[in-house]
Amino acid sequence: MTAMTLQSISSSDIASVRQSHPQAFGSTFSTITRWAIWLSVIFYVIGSLYYFEVYRLLDASGRALNLIAAFFNWEDMGEWQYRQIYIGIAQTLGMAFLGTLLGTVMALFIGFFAARTTMPFVVVRQIVRRILDILRGVDQLVWGLVFVRAVGLGPLAGVLAIAVSDTGTLSKLYSEALENVDRKQVEGIRSTGAGPLKIARYGYLPQVLPIFISQSLYFFESSTRSATILGLVGAGGIGMIIIERFRANLFDQVAFVVLNVLVCIFVIDWLSKKIRARLIGETSH
Amino acid sequence: MASIDVNAGPQPDDAVSVFERHRSELRRQRLGMNILFIGAFLLALGLSIWVSRFYPDRLAAGLPRIFEYFGTIMPDLQFDVLFEGRGADGRAVPGSLTYWYSDFNVYIRLIVETIFMALTATILGATAAFLLCFPASRNLAPNSFIYIVSRRFMEICRGVPEILYALVFVFAIGIGPLAGVLAIAIHSAGALGKLFSEVNENASMRPVEGIRGVGGNWFEEIRYGVVPQVMPNFVSYTLLRFEINVRASSIVGFVGAGGIGAELNRVISLYSDDRVVAVLLLVVITVTLIDLLSEQMRTHFIGRENLQ
Repeated sequence: MTAMTLQSISSSDIASVRQSHPQAFGSTFSTITRWAIWLSVIFYVIGSLYYFEVYRLLDASGRALNLIAAFFNWEDMGEWQYRQIYIGIAQTLGMAFLGTLLGTVMALFIGFFAARTTMPFVVVRQIVRRILDILRGVDQLVWGLVFVRAVGLGPLAGVLAIAVSDTGTLSKLYSEALENVDRKQVEGIRSTGAGPLKIARYGYLPQVLPIFISQSLYFFESSTRSATILGLVGAGGIGMIIIERFRANLFDQVAFVVLNVLVCIFVIDWLSKKIRARLIGETSH
Repeated sequence: MASIDVNAGPQPDDAVSVFERHRSELRRQRLGMNILFIGAFLLALGLSIWVSRFYPDRLAAGLPRIFEYFGTIMPDLQFDVLFEGRGADGRAVPGSLTYWYSDFNVYIRLIVETIFMALTATILGATAAFLLCFPASRNLAPNSFIYIVSRRFMEICRGVPEILYALVFVFAIGIGPLAGVLAIAIHSAGALGKLFSEVNENASMRPVEGIRGVGGNWFEEIRYGVVPQVMPNFVSYTLLRFEINVRASSIVGFVGAGGIGAELNRVISLYSDDRVVAVLLLVVITVTLIDLLSEQMRTHFIGRENLQ
């Protein structure tokens, strides 16, 4: 092919290059596949929105605007029961803290039974992992509902719900950390004739403890978020107050409570970022 | 040759004693911090036990009932009639799988609805996040005002739990899956938008500068400079979000926003005990299957070595 300048390129040149180097322009087949995927996604969304009766939004828009106005039209602020609201928030924080702590303690033991490096028996490991899958796979709100059935309304059910679902997730994360440890230290401890408990204590724990703590701190944050809604099923905390006020059409108070919760979560976020940075250094996350 | 008298000065400055001094100083400092941390921890522990009334006597009374409850929700299956179908009169034999899952068709319809809710909400949320994430990336935002507004908007979207949005939507547009889809879509838009913009901020700016150099406008910079780089990560995060949204859409039904959640809430609160495990089992299986499927797709899209 002769050399050409930018001005001299004609459409027939482009056509001939396209013919000799089809890959550079993308094959017709891949173009068609791409378009087919995009079209089917668009058709799916339109179809499913029609199935979910999206046209109901048109009738509801007036009502939605009234609702939004009601959220921010704060009246009779003197009569809001702030004591009740802040006790509810404190309860949510307490539930999240205690639940995460219990989950951490459980995961500290169970993690060793779910890691390939520390649990040589495949059967035990698989059973433990499948149980953890179930603890994790059932939503925290469902656990809340189940524990309300078992121990009655109130924050105790919430603590247990958080503890169970955090055990499921933290054990998995802990076991992954245990599988990534440096084997040399473990071999060193083993060579001194130490038993499994001592190997776990001196071979594994010093390496994984910072990771464990950092992950538990993350879960304290995320449990605080999820604990705010546990009250919806009667498992204690601020959710109970939110849904009570919502059902009583006190939308301004609902907005106030939600704003307060958001501020709390923001503060915890910031605080735990500080603690994490202190414990394991800025660079690790 | 002068001899060194170890006991001469009050502060000898040979290497060993400097090290020892420094070490004891560090130990004192760390001791102070540790006492502070442990004190704060114990205080938080005490307060949280107090506010959540997590007392030994309540726990001792509650724990046996937990196991009791798990006993009552277990299905009563008998091995000899396990695979018995419906009899001639259309009734299922007690103790058989057919009896346990007599509402199987209803559950499956609701599970399919749940998955479709999650899929639609994920597509809507990811689309919104895709549009929002470019103005919300520090390196791509046209100006700082647009940057701050879009950041705050996404924070509000993801700060409120989806079930609260669902509560509001059920109030505004009535009971049904649409409320759930919208609620999950809004939450996904905020959560995905944050992850997307982080990907953008790590993208190489060289293609963008190249396109700016040949006279491309902001949209062309994004379309040809950024999107090809970030798309694999976006797809991976969206798939991950789809898994999370399947879980979320299985519970928005608790407040009337469609999906299997309503049925779950019903069987738990109506003491239809053996049905609880029947529904839960289907939910867990669905969630696990979708986890496995989307992990396969993720590794297919971006390659195993790029996952971590």
